[in-house]
Amino acid sequence: MGTSSNGQRGLFASFGRMWAIALNTFREAVRNKVLAILVMFAVALMAFSLVLGQLSLHEEVRIIKDLGLAGISIFGVVIALFLGVNLLSKELDRKTVYAIIPKPLHRHEFLLGKYLGLLVTMVALVALMSVVLAGFLLMQGGRHGVLMVRAEILILLELLLLMAVAMLFSSFSSPWLSAMFAGSLWVIGRNTAELEAFATGKLEGSAGGTVLEFVLDLLPDFRMFFVSGANFDETVVSVHGSFVSWAYVGSAAAYAAAYGGMCLLIAVLLFQRRDFT
Amino acid sequence: MTAPVLEVDGLRKEFVRGFLRKRTVAVDGVSFHVERGEVFGFLGPNGAGKTTTMKMLMGLIYPSGGTATILGAAVGDIEAKRRIGYLPENPYFYDYLSATEYLHMIGRIYGLDRHERRKRATRLLERLGLAMAEGRAMRSYSKGMLQRVGLAQALIGDPELVVLDEPMSGLDPIGRREVRELILELRGQGKTVFFSTHILADANLLCDRVGIIVKGKLRDVGPLGELLSPKVLRIEVLWQGSAELQAALREQFAEAEPGSEAEPGSEPGSERESPHSSSSEGQVFVAQAQAQLDRFVAAVIAGGGEISSVTPQRETLEQLFVRDSGTRPEEQRS
Repeated sequence: MGTSSNGQRGLFASFGRMWAIALNTFREAVRNKVLAILVMFAVALMAFSLVLGQLSLHEEVRIIKDLGLAGISIFGVVIALFLGVNLLSKELDRKTVYAIIPKPLHRHEFLLGKYLGLLVTMVALVALMSVVLAGFLLMQGGRHGVLMVRAEILILLELLLLMAVAMLFSSFSSPWLSAMFAGSLWVIGRNTAELEAFATGKLEGSAGGTVLEFVLDLLPDFRMFFVSGANFDETVVSVHGSFVSWAYVGSAAAYAAAYGGMCLLIAVLLFQRRDFT
Repeated sequence: MTAPVLEVDGLRKEFVRGFLRKRTVAVDGVSFHVERGEVFGFLGPNGAGKTTTMKMLMGLIYPSGGTATILGAAVGDIEAKRRIGYLPENPYFYDYLSATEYLHMIGRIYGLDRHERRKRATRLLERLGLAMAEGRAMRSYSKGMLQRVGLAQALIGDPELVVLDEPMSGLDPIGRREVRELILELRGQGKTVFFSTHILADANLLCDRVGIIVKGKLRDVGPLGELLSPKVLRIEVLWQGSAELQAALREQFAEAEPGSEAEPGSEPGSERESPHSSSSEGQVFVAQAQAQLDRFVAAVIAGGGEISSVTPQRETLEQLFVRDSGTRPEEQRS
């Protein structure tokens, strides 16, 4: 009983320390002008969809939804890469970490606290952009609806996973290289269907095909998070009609948590061994 | 007898750098201890290994060998860290935060509640003269102000052991005096202070004991009184007299006595400076031995001159430092 309450107290204290780091990371992000500009661009893209909608034949709502989701996704990816790769390198370049590590917190709490701060930032940003999108839809007489919420949650999960991947790279390489590596993985991860088709088609039976299939299994499958317009079991899913279920969103969340958790674990192990010279 | 607050035994750090895996020993088997309530100065020229040693003690760098215990626990123990305050060398902080926000963040890490954080932050910012800038983003702070924030963040957890890496670095004379006063205040509160510096005057004024590290090796550890030689090295005479008497004595006592002590740090066989000089208060003669002093004083009085003061000069911390490091301070690389 005593041990368990001590354990709970310890966990609570540990979360408190991580929350201190997370809060600071959130403050850093929201006070960053680059981030504000990127969010404004995303909103501008949504506003532009109003103009494009006028050019269509009574498809204003469809265009706003498609462009809006694309805007959240594209600018979200840029923001996730920007935040993820700068997370540790800034601390090391500016030597701010030197004053924090000797404080009463574990190194893994520092790293996980930083990620928690990014998670809160990204949830806030996606929520903000979704609210703006819902406002534009309302202006055109459309409804945001639960399908859009599912699509937005999937985009958020993709961004959280991408941030974990970027953070892993930034724990051992420079920001530019980390952005290149993580960005390349995102591009490959979004196109796994084509690569799978190539591995099981032209390369079938060859050593190259086997290696490609193995590598694709290891790489993060970002395709599963941006599904509007994709073909699922011979059925095209879309936010305008039949979309993926909550169960699918749950399984995508489990995948993001497992893959992202692995990335964070490796990042923690690398960070744990590091000398801050 | 209480256990030492800090105990270091054979601490060693070897860096492996570059493609060719070149090895550099930064700290080589350093051993010392710091007792409760004392001010311990860690002295050494730039690049001697002071900061590397401190970083090992603070868990920023992993040692290649040796052990260290702080407040009875191994380095990195979270409960021990709670009782330590650390100021890094040339501190950098999150420049988008204000000093108050930063101290609240650090207070949160220490597990302090909001009321306690506010109380301590306000008191420290006032004590360190930052109250007028507490709400401003730290990007607009001067180096001196950042150093004060560094001291505030080191003290917000009310630590038993305060570790300060070059706390006077980059400060103007007033700032340096304030930091000296703060260190003495901490000692008055019963806290242990372990600080590094290459400014010997500060160490001379503050330290109960010092450790001198040179090229990664600890050369001397102990109370200043024990480390400094009690032997009189030379005697300085301040005197006044007529121009004729000055000329006569300059001629009569033109050179140091044969067999007198060489000044520490001077090259053997180098040209000896004249023992005579002038100051705003009168003429100065430096006698190297008692017999020479007696004869000089007798000559001044016999010539109708006046003796203002006779000051024996013992070894200073600077001379000890030069003796240990084997170089003059100005020759040390910066």
